[in-house]
Amino acid sequence: MSNALYLRRRVANMVALCMSMLATLIGLTFLAWILWETLHQGIGALNLKLFTKITAYGEDGGLANAMIGSLIINFIGIAIATPIGVMAGTWLAEYANRTKLGESIRFLNDILLSAPSIVLGLFVYTIIVLPSTAITHGSTTFSGLAGGVALALIALPVIVRTTDEMLRLVPSTLREAALSLGVPQWKLTVQILIRAARSGLITGVLLALARISGETAPLLFTAFGNNYTTFNPMDKMSSLPQMIYQYANDPGEAMHSIAWAGAFVITMFVLLLSLASRLVLSRNKVSHD
Amino acid sequence: MIESAAGVNPQSTAAAALAPCKLQVRDLHFYYNGFHALKGIDMDIPEKKVTAIIGPSGCGKSTLLRIFNRIYAIYPKLEAKGAITLDGENILDPGYSMNRLRSKVGMVFQKPVPFPMTIFENVAYGIRHHEKLSRTDMDIRVEQALRSAALWDEVKDKLKQNALGLSGGQQQRLCIARAIALRPEVLLLDEPTSALDPIATGRIEQLVEELKNEYTIVIVTHNMQQAARCSDLTAFMYLGELIEFDQTEKIFTKPSKKQTEDYITGRFG
Repeated sequence: MSNALYLRRRVANMVALCMSMLATLIGLTFLAWILWETLHQGIGALNLKLFTKITAYGEDGGLANAMIGSLIINFIGIAIATPIGVMAGTWLAEYANRTKLGESIRFLNDILLSAPSIVLGLFVYTIIVLPSTAITHGSTTFSGLAGGVALALIALPVIVRTTDEMLRLVPSTLREAALSLGVPQWKLTVQILIRAARSGLITGVLLALARISGETAPLLFTAFGNNYTTFNPMDKMSSLPQMIYQYANDPGEAMHSIAWAGAFVITMFVLLLSLASRLVLSRNKVSHD
Repeated sequence: MIESAAGVNPQSTAAAALAPCKLQVRDLHFYYNGFHALKGIDMDIPEKKVTAIIGPSGCGKSTLLRIFNRIYAIYPKLEAKGAITLDGENILDPGYSMNRLRSKVGMVFQKPVPFPMTIFENVAYGIRHHEKLSRTDMDIRVEQALRSAALWDEVKDKLKQNALGLSGGQQQRLCIARAIALRPEVLLLDEPTSALDPIATGRIEQLVEELKNEYTIVIVTHNMQQAARCSDLTAFMYLGELIEFDQTEKIFTKPSKKQTEDYITGRFG
């Protein structure tokens, strides 16, 4: 009797285990396939030239201007989104938790989180690109700065959400312990809670960076693109995803190869960022227990 | 200093005869979101003695303890009515400074909760908020606190290490050091050993014995042997009421109430 019961449970366990392993395998297959395909197709263009030459030379060129542009635009995006996002998330978790206003803002933030990125690009086009064109009589139109602002709008809800969630994971006993020493709420928040949730906050920022570094659509209307290298954020600026989009549409075989190599570089960048965020989390977890 | 006001249960004040009263609780009621959790508590907690509060889960013993430093006030919809007098002033008066109250009444919680910083900083953190001290003075204060908490010898060579690396028992003694570093007058211990093993528990109990020379200690515990071992007075609470409050020896040998006897002999609870 009980043997039959155990057997049935073991079978059910095996079936469930196999199915979940299969599902995992399917997910991982596509990741490996994407990595392999980008590497395989782009290997021809994956050389030093890719990192040193600019796109202006066409088939003999590389993606140096796009990489520099991407770094600058992503930096602007993260630099804007991080302080605002961390502060907003802190307010949600520590001051507005379980209030109506807090709940509504959390809900609105989730909507921003899933807003189509092209809408955010058009929004920034309307509030930054058009006015700057009008004010400067056309000498400043599209710019790396506008691109950075568009990406900041994408990164912001990610950072708000992770900050909020990570702070709410901090046990309330830690708050009670600090408050019972007579420490005021703001000191508790800045000096203890942020520190306790630090690794989670860093992870949130890294994930937001991973998220924006692959964005193409919001840059089309804002950074626009540039065949030459520029370090001036008020200039039109090139970016990796946008060059991939452009080269993939080009009839030339060599261009396709460069686009694939660019895609491989971005994928590896995102992969490394994710690994870095895992590392930050796991290293701090040990000391928490 | 024995209050003889009308309506005060003589039971609750009789015990205080052995020392001057430090915390005087009068007609204290507490409400959790409308739920009547404490029903008219009268209690005189004597100075420099260990007062244990026992009772079954949900009887209101932790609630009572958490009113003594008003830590309950950080959550919404909680309300305390009545009076708790500390050195002649009612701490439930909204005008009573929270900062002052919490520097006078320290608290240690059930689970050890060190701050995510070094051992030294854990102790120095609270002091720094209340006083400006020079480096050497701060070093002395931290050492004193760690010595009083019987932790100094174990941590003196690793003060700059993260406090989260200490064992559970060490972390709890660090929390006691952190509380007494502010030189409070009253020390509240909310089931301080329930997350610790017997050896760590023994050390904490021994520490309580030493600390009562300087502090008024109120300890909430689930463990009746613990109350019997390390307290001078014991209060038994049941369903939000203070059933009996007397010298520990009397409570555990000759309780005057049937409910107390039933509880300590294990007939319920």
